[in-house]
Amino acid sequence: MASQASETTPLELVIFHDDSRFAHDSIDLLAGFPFLIVKESLGLPATIAATKNKLKKRRPTVIIGREVPSQVKELPTSSHLLLITQAELSEQVLNAWQGDVLMGDCSPAMVRKRLSLWCASHRVENQLASFEESLSWYMQRIEREHELIEHIFRNAMSRNYLDYPHIRTLLAPAEKFNGDLCLVAPSPTGSLYVMMADFTGHGLAPATGALPVSQAFFAMSERNVSIAEMVTEFNFRLSRLLPDNMFCACFLMELSANGERITYWNGGMPPALVFGSDGEIKHRLTAKHMALGIVPTADFESDVTTLKVGSGDSIALYTDGVIELLSQQREFLGLDALEDLLRRYPERERFTDLLSELEHFRGEEPLRDDLSLAILECRETGLEPRREESNRDIFPFHFSTTLSRRELQQTDVVSTLVSALGRLPPLTAHRTTIYLLLAEVFNNALEHGLLGLESAIKAQDQGFETYYELRQEKLSQLEDGQITIQLTYFSEANQLQFEVENNGAAWRFSSEAIDAEATDDEQAYGRGLALLMQLADNLEWSSDGRKVRFRYDLSQLG
Amino acid sequence: MSVTRHLSSDGKELTISIHGKFDFGVVHEFRRAYSSLGDEKPVVYIDLRNTEYLDSSALGMLLNMRKAIINQVESVAIINTNPQVKSILEISRFDKLFKIE
Repeated sequence: MASQASETTPLELVIFHDDSRFAHDSIDLLAGFPFLIVKESLGLPATIAATKNKLKKRRPTVIIGREVPSQVKELPTSSHLLLITQAELSEQVLNAWQGDVLMGDCSPAMVRKRLSLWCASHRVENQLASFEESLSWYMQRIEREHELIEHIFRNAMSRNYLDYPHIRTLLAPAEKFNGDLCLVAPSPTGSLYVMMADFTGHGLAPATGALPVSQAFFAMSERNVSIAEMVTEFNFRLSRLLPDNMFCACFLMELSANGERITYWNGGMPPALVFGSDGEIKHRLTAKHMALGIVPTADFESDVTTLKVGSGDSIALYTDGVIELLSQQREFLGLDALEDLLRRYPERERFTDLLSELEHFRGEEPLRDDLSLAILECRETGLEPRREESNRDIFPFHFSTTLSRRELQQTDVVSTLVSALGRLPPLTAHRTTIYLLLAEVFNNALEHGLLGLESAIKAQDQGFETYYELRQEKLSQLEDGQITIQLTYFSEANQLQFEVENNGAAWRFSSEAIDAEATDDEQAYGRGLALLMQLADNLEWSSDGRKVRFRYDLSQLG
Repeated sequence: MSVTRHLSSDGKELTISIHGKFDFGVVHEFRRAYSSLGDEKPVVYIDLRNTEYLDSSALGMLLNMRKAIINQVESVAIINTNPQVKSILEISRFDKLFKIE
């Protein structure tokens, strides 16, 4: 009769015995069983406590004695102990003894049977205990890892502008980690980006996808990237990152700074709802695209839609967790019911009522999916356009270059100069204006001074094209001529001085011409001088109009 | 590809974006971008979010465009202007001719 224990590794035992003949007979019998190994056989010490280190945790221990050894009372409570004795055990001893007992009058077959069962139960207990240990180890490990991940998520989302005053949100993950993503970020021009996304499934795995997407979202918001470029980038990242059975439904929008225009892209999300202050549903912005992370970049459609919104309008963005919210009666909430709730509670102050209705609908039913709802008011964002910091590390400088025929023909002079000098701290925030000013005087010097072009050509039909074709032609034929550019920064006055001089034809500045040009708002040329006169200080021409000098005040805002 | 155009599927919005530098270097590209407008009288958006530099030739090109298409479109708006571009457009009184955002 093969017991289960005999099929596996033999169990190692420690034996304490009273050195009686009965004990030695018993040890011999035990030693013959294939399912156990007598690891150590020791005489009973005066006190068993003295051998405490031998009584290791869960080490199976057999105590053998003709009489019941008095030391057994000192033994710890353990089912890993077996007492084999010839003596009759009193009720008192039996009650006190926590281990198993085998009476000496058993037949060897019975002893074998009992020992084999004892070994089997010992194994099961051991196994259970080690399972418990590893489970609690894993639990601790998971807890620690969750803490770390939560920390990373908190940091990743620290730039999320959910505190934007004109948005209300309900973000309810079904588990600790949210597979929905609701991101808000201002753009440098004062518009607002809002993204509502839903990764397949819920819990940690989909939440992981939120990390690269959110980081890309915040970085691109800062760079004022368009919605179409953003979704293209998200799709590029996710299609390489996500496994085939995972994707990310996404609604991405930008609200213009004046709050009158929404540009959006909807891939696989339920329709966002635009509703008026009276609760009337005005637009349902349905998905026209597949979710992110499915199609390769070459087939990806990034077309966005632009929509005019009225003042007082709001837009509700939500994940399918909202319309698939399950009631205790096992009914879905549905899109109609959500629209109905928006009709009833369109006002900002009633958002909490709307949430209570959702709670009431769900009752005691647990959340099956992550649930996210955001209602954005379509109004002037009130976000200040970002001004670049420019009052650090300021020192005066002077830059001078003289360009002759070859450089003039081959270099994009103004771009090159402004790109390089525009990195100097005092100029950074003004580089667009500096470019414009330098371009005006440089082009003036080149086109009128060296190339002898007449602006009046621009007035003809297709005049712009003709003019610039002529400019190319004349420039390539230029034989001689040079332009000197000097830029001087006066740090105390915080002014940049421009000096541009050419050695070409004289040019006469006529203020009447400027006035005449400036009064005609729709004339397509001659605006350069007018801009120069408005933006520059101390503007003066010398050397018969070959040299122009002016200053630009960098203290004024961009 | 410094000028891109996108006409919405319903033909009601035409968005023209200029990347980097907006000057005579893109004169042909820019003209091409508004050469076909469809029959829906679209709203035209000139998206300057990625325009870092512009000069007076860009202003001339915008005015030429306006002249050429104003009767075939719903309106023309210049959008996503950074503060410097916006102030240049305002100094040039473009706010009287275009909606500037």
